[in-house]
Amino acid sequence: MRGITDISHRKGFPYQGNVYLPHMAVIKKVVDETDDTKSFHFSFKDEKLQREFTFEPGQFAEYSVFGIGESPFCISSSPTERDHLECTVRRVGRVTNALHRLGVGAEIGFRGPYGNSFPLDFLRGKSLVFVAGGIGLVALRSLIRYVMDNRNEYKKIDIIYGARRPSDLCFRYDLDTWEKSETVDIITTVDKGDSDWKGREGFVPQVLEQVAPSTENAVAVVCGPPVMIRLTFPVLEKLGFTPERIITTLEKRMKCGIGKCGRCNIGNLYVCRDGPVFTYEQIRNFISKEF
Amino acid sequence: MTDKKISKNDIAELLADWNREFTVFTPKLESDNVSKMVEWDGKDTDFLKWYRNTLVPCKTLFLPSMEEMFRFEKRAEGHYHLELPSVEKQKRLIFGIRPCDAKALTILDMTFEDTYQDPYYLSKRTNTILIGIGCTNPYDSCFCTALDGNPSNPTDVDLFFTDIGDEFVIETTTEAGNTLMSKSKHLQEVNQTDETRTREAREASRKKIIRRLDTEHLRGKLSTIFENKDYWEGIAAKCISCGICTLFCPTCHCFDISDEMLKGKGRRLRSLDSCSFPQYTKMPTENPRGEKWRRVRNRVCHKYVFYPINFGVIACTGCGRCIRLCPVNWDINQVLNDLPDRV
Repeated sequence: MRGITDISHRKGFPYQGNVYLPHMAVIKKVVDETDDTKSFHFSFKDEKLQREFTFEPGQFAEYSVFGIGESPFCISSSPTERDHLECTVRRVGRVTNALHRLGVGAEIGFRGPYGNSFPLDFLRGKSLVFVAGGIGLVALRSLIRYVMDNRNEYKKIDIIYGARRPSDLCFRYDLDTWEKSETVDIITTVDKGDSDWKGREGFVPQVLEQVAPSTENAVAVVCGPPVMIRLTFPVLEKLGFTPERIITTLEKRMKCGIGKCGRCNIGNLYVCRDGPVFTYEQIRNFISKEF
Repeated sequence: MTDKKISKNDIAELLADWNREFTVFTPKLESDNVSKMVEWDGKDTDFLKWYRNTLVPCKTLFLPSMEEMFRFEKRAEGHYHLELPSVEKQKRLIFGIRPCDAKALTILDMTFEDTYQDPYYLSKRTNTILIGIGCTNPYDSCFCTALDGNPSNPTDVDLFFTDIGDEFVIETTTEAGNTLMSKSKHLQEVNQTDETRTREAREASRKKIIRRLDTEHLRGKLSTIFENKDYWEGIAAKCISCGICTLFCPTCHCFDISDEMLKGKGRRLRSLDSCSFPQYTKMPTENPRGEKWRRVRNRVCHKYVFYPINFGVIACTGCGRCIRLCPVNWDINQVLNDLPDRV
């Protein structure tokens, strides 16, 4: 049941032919997104690899902080940006805390790109409705930037993005660009505003229902905390999106990232190998909290 | 290739010959009453009197409980040097692997070869010759026959020995086995009586398997009952999530990857893990399988539904270790036989 999100041509870059060996990468820039989230811009020590490296929006990689461990994060930059890669990380545990303590010039390990990607062929020529919550925007950012860099290949673009508080909104510089752009409609909301907040208030699924973007020739792409995704699916269906036209990207505890350690499965699908991008159609039978 | 036979008295010399080219592993009952494959000490032949499987499955020789993947060194603050792992070159020979364990290795191969090649497991596989021995007296807990297996199945090994009393009849099934046979001494020709005795021995051991399992509608029945929380809570009630079943299962392959570092020198390790452990799938904000019934359901369905969907084969060889070793007598055979036909 691999569906539309299957890519059978995976371009891999195993170091010395060993899938478990990471490439060395150097941090070039660190951006503070929120009080517990940072974006890291990095490039490979091997310049030839940096020139040749490519991936597709939606793929992830396993990042190493040597001596502490490895963790999977999406590649949040678009493959159209050739001189560096980006990942955005929230500080929640051992590896992420250690990563946050690293600065410009520090070396990390990179294994990837792994997983499948957003089905670009399927999305081309359609209207896209992005629905993101909190740090879920990270997983969609690669695709949004890719789409913006190839704008004339897509019809209408709507983005609905929400977070708990104004200080939890990520990628403000991108949000500014998209707000000012005339080729995309973006609505930002927070669950609870503060004294400076002048925008909308409301949970993302509710705002989505109010905004009711058109479903004509449109595909919805959703990412956020699991509870938000689960509440967004019924709203999208009510608006008229069919399950094959609702795409999401999921996250699981992972170790190997290549479908061998057995940890990240949803039924017979491994999130690291058959995902992380899935259609609602593929995972609807597991809606009962297993994802 | 015609069969040959060898007297049990000549086994020690045969192994000694092979020991010059390979590191030989044989079954041994250790002092703590745990039987497992160990490096042959050069003279032990007690295992020739054994008639059934070791406690610890042979998978641990290919997927050890802890394995070093590579090393690294901290050269300066934030700067590391990665040391490439050395290529696995040790040639090994495992003498006395049982058909269920050998079949389990072919099942594991499917995972470790799929899309990405796992160098650590696969290099061990290509460097190891397997010599199988048929079981003459299976356990009460064995049910290999229900899963396309047989206590005398010669197909997943290089050479297969059938016990016919004072002698073994040897069958070759691979090129490597053929080559090994052509270099070995003490082999005698097989006559008509030997062939009859071989057939009888195989039939006798197969008849001793008393357990039955209907696998024909298993996937359908499990898929139908999958979402029934009450059913699974009942099934999982007495499980204590100790993980013994997974640690001794020859087809279980879940592993963890972790780093350790001391005084600037470190390494990355792979260690066996268990999907039965409560924190196996734990994430920062939630745990998809924090509830025990979900873990039990996942374990059963991974072996009998998901693996067949992905690879076309049930990830169980009926070795029965999980049944023998479970401290609360949780019996997978019984659970599967008791699945309701309709919900």
